[in-house]
Amino acid sequence: MASKRLGRTQDPTILVLTSLSGGPKHGYAVIKDIESMCGVSFGPGTLYGVLTRLEQEGMVEPLPTEGTRRPYRITATGASVLRERLGVTLAVADVAFRRLGQLGAS
Amino acid sequence: MRDSPVEAALSCYPAWWRDRYADEVRSLSAELRSDGRAASRITFDLVRGALRVRASAEGMPRVHDLWATRTQLSIAVATLPWLLVAPLVLFAMGTLRLHSAAGRVFSPQLTLIGSNSLEVMGRHGPVAAPPLTPAGWMVVDSSRALMVLFVGTLLVLVVGWGRLIGGIADSNAPQRRKAALLAWAPVFALLADAGLVVARVMVGPSRYFSSGRLVVPLNGDPTAAHALVQTFWVVAVGGWLVSIVCVSVAAGRAEVARSDLRFGRTVSVIVSVLFAMLLAAYLTWGIGLVVQARQAAHGTFTTVVTSNEDLWLPMVLLLLFVAALSALAARAAVRSWRVISVEIVR
Repeated sequence: MASKRLGRTQDPTILVLTSLSGGPKHGYAVIKDIESMCGVSFGPGTLYGVLTRLEQEGMVEPLPTEGTRRPYRITATGASVLRERLGVTLAVADVAFRRLGQLGAS
Repeated sequence: MRDSPVEAALSCYPAWWRDRYADEVRSLSAELRSDGRAASRITFDLVRGALRVRASAEGMPRVHDLWATRTQLSIAVATLPWLLVAPLVLFAMGTLRLHSAAGRVFSPQLTLIGSNSLEVMGRHGPVAAPPLTPAGWMVVDSSRALMVLFVGTLLVLVVGWGRLIGGIADSNAPQRRKAALLAWAPVFALLADAGLVVARVMVGPSRYFSSGRLVVPLNGDPTAAHALVQTFWVVAVGGWLVSIVCVSVAAGRAEVARSDLRFGRTVSVIVSVLFAMLLAAYLTWGIGLVVQARQAAHGTFTTVVTSNEDLWLPMVLLLLFVAALSALAARAAVRSWRVISVEIVR
């Protein structure tokens, strides 16, 4: 309950980039991957809002369509941005865990 | 068969977005539906996404025409709602009158630049009336401010409209004539009203016989004159509304030069700022009316009376909504213009 009150902490951009870092995927596969990764289920409007922005910023690129589905793949820029953002998140998480450890010890 | 709620939601997206992504989203929505996800949830998410794409223009290709249309529409949304709401504000203010225990206070001095002395009719001519409460002066001063803001904003809009007319006339676009006709709609409405006034003068009675309360026209056709007055008001209000729609369509469709876009962006910013000031003045006006009643209870004062005080709160809410819309649209116009001027080389 308390964690719910803290709100949604997962950034959709990071989640989509993380999903695509595992290899090219179409929209449905991205949604399913994110669901299994952290339990967040995106709608098509949210997913394509993120994909539109990421494509325009050159972080993902579309591949040729497979039937009615179009896969997307992360670009070098996208991978670099993801690495940078995750680095910051890891550093924050590291500090948070250390402080929580001290809190538990005292 | 296509899923109609999804199709309806997709139609909320801009055309450039639909051209690029609609097929993929259709396919994804169908897969999610077959997975058991509720159609309402998918549709709601798509509509929310469409609003976000329209508001932010994220991912919109850096194509001049797309951004020019977005700038023009933003300018129209920032400016034209003022024409709908500002006259309503004036109506909602009603007619201000001044009253004191000594009777009705005459107010030739309550003009925009008049002196602030108040008079009441005594037995031997006008005498000084009791003073207004501080809150009463707040009401009077905010009324003056509202009038100044109304006239000032109208002038800014007329200048902007003139530039739009000029911009359309200078363009080489194929639909230039249609856009010009639409943009001239306010003038056509004004001409129609002027024609009705002239007809009323020509048809209506000009000589009367009066005896006590009885007034009998001696010439003209009073029935036709009455009908013309009714028609005048229908044409005046209808023409005003139709003009707003026509000018907004012209502003959205016209192909104007970059300098005209920059000018329009400036007009939209000025109008949105004046709109915020109008809201502040109207808030002050209503608060003044409430407070003056309390202040007047502690002495002999002249008070401001207005006919439509009950409309204050609904009008404040309406103004708040439209002023916020105007500010957001002006911000969108500024951002769109920045994209055109910095990122797009024509």
